[in-house]
Amino acid sequence: MNRALFRAMFKQHKKKIAVISTGIVLYEGLLTWVYPVIAENPAVTEIAVSLPTAVKTVFGVSENARTDTFEAFISGQFFARIWVMLMAVYGIQTANNLLAKMVDDCSIALLLSTPISRSEILSTQAAVLIFSGGILVTVTILGLFFGASRSGITICHDRYVRLGLLGFSFFSLIETYSLFFSAWFVEEERALTYAAGLTLIFYCLDIVGGLSNKYSWLKKVSLFQLFQPQEVLEGTKNPAGSIVGLNLVSMVLWQWAKRVFESQDLAI
Amino acid sequence: MIEVKELSKLYREGQGIKKISFDVDQGKAFGFLGPNGAGKTTTIRLLMGFLKPDSGQVTINGLDCWEQKTEVKKLVSYLPGELHFVESLTALEFLSLIAGMHRNRFQIKKNQKYFINALDLDSKILIRKMSKGMKQKLGIIAALMLDAKVLIFDEPTSGLDPLMQRVFIDLILEEKKRGKTIFMSSHQFPEIERTCEHVGIIKEGKLLAIKSIWQLREAEYQTFQIEVESDEDLELLKESQLNLIPLQGRSCIIRVAGELDSLWMALGQVHVVRFKQHSLELEEAFLDFYK
Repeated sequence: MNRALFRAMFKQHKKKIAVISTGIVLYEGLLTWVYPVIAENPAVTEIAVSLPTAVKTVFGVSENARTDTFEAFISGQFFARIWVMLMAVYGIQTANNLLAKMVDDCSIALLLSTPISRSEILSTQAAVLIFSGGILVTVTILGLFFGASRSGITICHDRYVRLGLLGFSFFSLIETYSLFFSAWFVEEERALTYAAGLTLIFYCLDIVGGLSNKYSWLKKVSLFQLFQPQEVLEGTKNPAGSIVGLNLVSMVLWQWAKRVFESQDLAI
Repeated sequence: MIEVKELSKLYREGQGIKKISFDVDQGKAFGFLGPNGAGKTTTIRLLMGFLKPDSGQVTINGLDCWEQKTEVKKLVSYLPGELHFVESLTALEFLSLIAGMHRNRFQIKKNQKYFINALDLDSKILIRKMSKGMKQKLGIIAALMLDAKVLIFDEPTSGLDPLMQRVFIDLILEEKKRGKTIFMSSHQFPEIERTCEHVGIIKEGKLLAIKSIWQLREAEYQTFQIEVESDEDLELLKESQLNLIPLQGRSCIIRVAGELDSLWMALGQVHVVRFKQHSLELEEAFLDFYK
């Protein structure tokens, strides 16, 4: 990894990170502020229980999950869908900006004219991507701790940290395959289409698989099956296996991306 | 220092270069001339290890430009034809980035100050707010501050005003005195003429000729715009054996190849009101090759 390049690339994205972080913290603040009011109203819980399974699936709530806890509320309202999509979009777009876009607009030419290998440049770009993803995950978890403590909501901090680690590994994989497509196609539009397309397919499989028992097998082939925030937060699922699996796949893809990029023809 | 042997690279669209060969000795400067799409930039991309050759070999100081591309870049500094930077940085931040990607960053930073002064660049401006000419200056500073043994420049003066073009040529001549090997593509014959010993002429991916500058001067056309006092004078010029193109009024363009004796003899018989020598254009210098 090259430190000078890391600093320059991080500087380019730090405004975006600051804006997203602020948005996440404000939204978490809003959710933790309204939750005590909702929790005092039993009608809300009754409505949540009476929702059909298909509707729960759309909001990322497991079929047999509870609906009367803060964990159920925060998962349904934020972690299971909004956070996942926000982080996925950030990862895909940033990966694309850090490689395919730079090849497309030739701004990588001057960087590749230095005695830093292509693999090292790619490693630095990946470090910026993973590090910024890590910042967003950390801000999310800390923001929730802060909001919960201000609103007097009791939470199990360890489980949220575990969710943070799972989220970091999950988003890192999305970022890694987005970077892989960038290294493979070295063309902004195609790389973006494939990375976003693959993520959308996984997302759709997760949704469709939850709508009917007939299609439940589809959930098993979706990457989103590995990210079940409510179960992690309620302590009914240990995410360690998923974290190891996600990181292993990321590392394999990462090695492959380096090899692909090293041998690419770059018309820059 | 630079050795290109039977080098070919064709893109899917069919463009590219075909079996190009040339050498550039250490301390010498080689100019690469040709029209747009002739294959100049492709050759430079191959020298920089951005593209893998379809066949043939390209080496710098004995190092294969594709297989040992990282090693090659320890010897080379590069100025692309189309300059694109990390736009959110200031010029100084960008130069620090490039210095930070090389080993001898402290020496590079010293050189940086010298070239910033020489090219009169405001280094605190954000790159995205810079004009094309300012970006070109920044690219030249980024290339020259590295003090590399080999300089590879793709149309280095495009976007520079005439004054800065002259400063650039002076800087290149200084680098030459310090023993640098230079490979430079250009549309502009004067900068090649003043800096290079040899010139390669490329058209449609094929290297048509490699000539020394003095060989080109022998063959070059010179163009003059002349206005004479009367219609009789103009008739006299037309009757001479000179290559003459009439213009409006009593003006004409005369093109002379080689010695100028015939021109002086013809002009001795007429009253010249205005005499202007055109700067030599690439198309004129290499007209024969492009026909």
